[in-house]
Amino acid sequence: MRPARQKDNPMPNQETRILDNIIASRRALLVGGGAAVAALAIPGIAKAASTVVGFGDTDILNFALNLEYLEANFYYLAAFGTNISTANTLYPTGAMVQGITGTGTQGTVTVKASPKVPFANLAVASYAVETAIEEGKHVAFLRSALGSAAVAQPQIDLTGGTGFGATAAFNTLASAALIGPAFDPFASDANFLIGAYIFEDVGVTAYHGAAPLFTTGTTGKTYLAAAAGILAVEAYHAGLVRTTINALDPINSNGYQTLTQKVSTLRAALSLAALSTAPNPDDYGLTPGTISVSLAGGASVPRTQIVDADPTNVIAFSRNTTQVLNIVTGGGATTAGAKATGVFFPNGLNGLFS
Amino acid sequence: VNILSELNKRGVNRRSFLAGVGAIGAASALAGCSSNGAMAAATTTYTDTDILNFALNLEYLEAEFYLHAATGSGLQASDAGSNPGTVTGGTQVTGLSSAQQNILNEIAYDEQEHVRFLRSALGSAAVSRPAIDITNSFNALASAAGIASTFNPYANFDAFAVGAFIFEDVGVTAYAGAAPLISTAGIAAGYLAAAAGIMAVEAYHAAYVRTYLTAQNIANSSYLYLGYANKVSALRATLGGGNETALTVPTGTVPLTATAIATPSSIVAATTANAIAFARDTDQVLHIVYGTANGAGVKSGGFFPSGLNGNISVTQS
Repeated sequence: MRPARQKDNPMPNQETRILDNIIASRRALLVGGGAAVAALAIPGIAKAASTVVGFGDTDILNFALNLEYLEANFYYLAAFGTNISTANTLYPTGAMVQGITGTGTQGTVTVKASPKVPFANLAVASYAVETAIEEGKHVAFLRSALGSAAVAQPQIDLTGGTGFGATAAFNTLASAALIGPAFDPFASDANFLIGAYIFEDVGVTAYHGAAPLFTTGTTGKTYLAAAAGILAVEAYHAGLVRTTINALDPINSNGYQTLTQKVSTLRAALSLAALSTAPNPDDYGLTPGTISVSLAGGASVPRTQIVDADPTNVIAFSRNTTQVLNIVTGGGATTAGAKATGVFFPNGLNGLFS
Repeated sequence: VNILSELNKRGVNRRSFLAGVGAIGAASALAGCSSNGAMAAATTTYTDTDILNFALNLEYLEAEFYLHAATGSGLQASDAGSNPGTVTGGTQVTGLSSAQQNILNEIAYDEQEHVRFLRSALGSAAVSRPAIDITNSFNALASAAGIASTFNPYANFDAFAVGAFIFEDVGVTAYAGAAPLISTAGIAAGYLAAAAGIMAVEAYHAAYVRTYLTAQNIANSSYLYLGYANKVSALRATLGGGNETALTVPTGTVPLTATAIATPSSIVAATTANAIAFARDTDQVLHIVYGTANGAGVKSGGFFPSGLNGNISVTQS
């Protein structure tokens, strides 16, 4: 494939100038973000996973399964108040107890008491239920596709808020993102949406990065088709979350859009720490129309940022497993080859990519 | 292991699609070599260029629709190729709030850039923009869907959302169907990663449209446009082999008590069994954009009055 357009048009055009401006402004933010990253459990630069050789389709699917365990538990807890392996009479059609056994070390989910979100907005409440059902199905699908090769659910930390210490997963991230010392994603509609925001765009980039790694025989193609379909669903979820935050606070008067920018800035910093050649940034929060673009050759007009994608070609970002590990563990491994632990996965992931 | 059997079925479906193409290729080859039965059957398989050009046709359509809705103008001449077809209709949506205009601007920009990206990736192999109809097509589609005899997607933001609904889920299914067809060399060249990344963007757009329509109907129970979108979805299912998830209007009493939940929304379009987004083969996509039901040999209609440009333009089944 030929490289991006600016290589064909070396003269800076409107868009590349805008891109430069965006990058420059994000770099300014990164000064703060970078400092905060240093305060994380481990400001590490993990290259371990990128040097993994001899991996197969099963390893890729198991990496995805770890992430789906995390997402499904978050949404089950928000929507129903229980984790995915616990029966609950509230489960609607499509939600059910999920298996969590498998290879590796099985863990539990730590979370505050009574995590069911007291939703006040019917739309947000219904989105939580839909997403919980779908992420639960992804867990079931991957476990079924992997069969006896499926990894167990690892230890998962979803604690956060003033009742927890600085090392609680969401408190650690909130501090690093300069949001504040404590953050409880189960406290309200808005907090739930910000919590969901943390996960969904990461899921998109992870599946995107994994897609070209599958083997090219019939089995690999079958897995690729499934992974592409799950990638699309993660993007639907991300679009849903970003659309709803944008609708609740279109001109950022409540600061919700600023929160998304802080999360995105942190994710980009963690991603860059894992892969110095990654696009910088590789993550964009919502903006209330502060980016301008030229349409149909006309004058610049403001646009929103519902889509999290590179501003030039508008192709969603891709992250390798090390970048994703760095984000979900808040810094990755201290040394290459060591297991990445921290934040949502206090004991690390199960499987080869860990 | 139902999952694997479903996966295999999907794989088989795609193989039978290719087998169908092969059979037709063979038929024409045999016709061209008289009675020489020894001639090997020609197998028509699509190259990566064919697949990317197929996507480019769809991006031309989306870009023209959104750019006209946002600005009243379409793609610049420099983005339409050396021999572009004409664009019929398309007007700016007026009376928008700034928040609505900004959304429209974003989607229009995204699709414009997808056109530019694919044209750049394809280089001299890029097809020109085919003839595109973004006015009469909506009337015919609305009539076929049972909405009304005419439908103006540029009348207001809600009508525009229904117009956008027509395209976005189709874009997702088209890219999802195309991804596994890309060659091993194409994967190494980055085509698969690009297609997957564009698919994700289409899914973000689709989610925007579906979330908007759902939220509007929650706020106003007599809202008409979610119902229109579902009629479109039903028509797409008829033309495009099912592969649809209708929108729903969630219910529940808020604030929720500790023992109550809302009914689920239906923002994601995906299989009920596994919550995996649908994939359509090129025939199913062609039948939708041509607005013409199943069967081989359909080569134009609907949004593309002269058909698509490139090697994937005529339905094989």
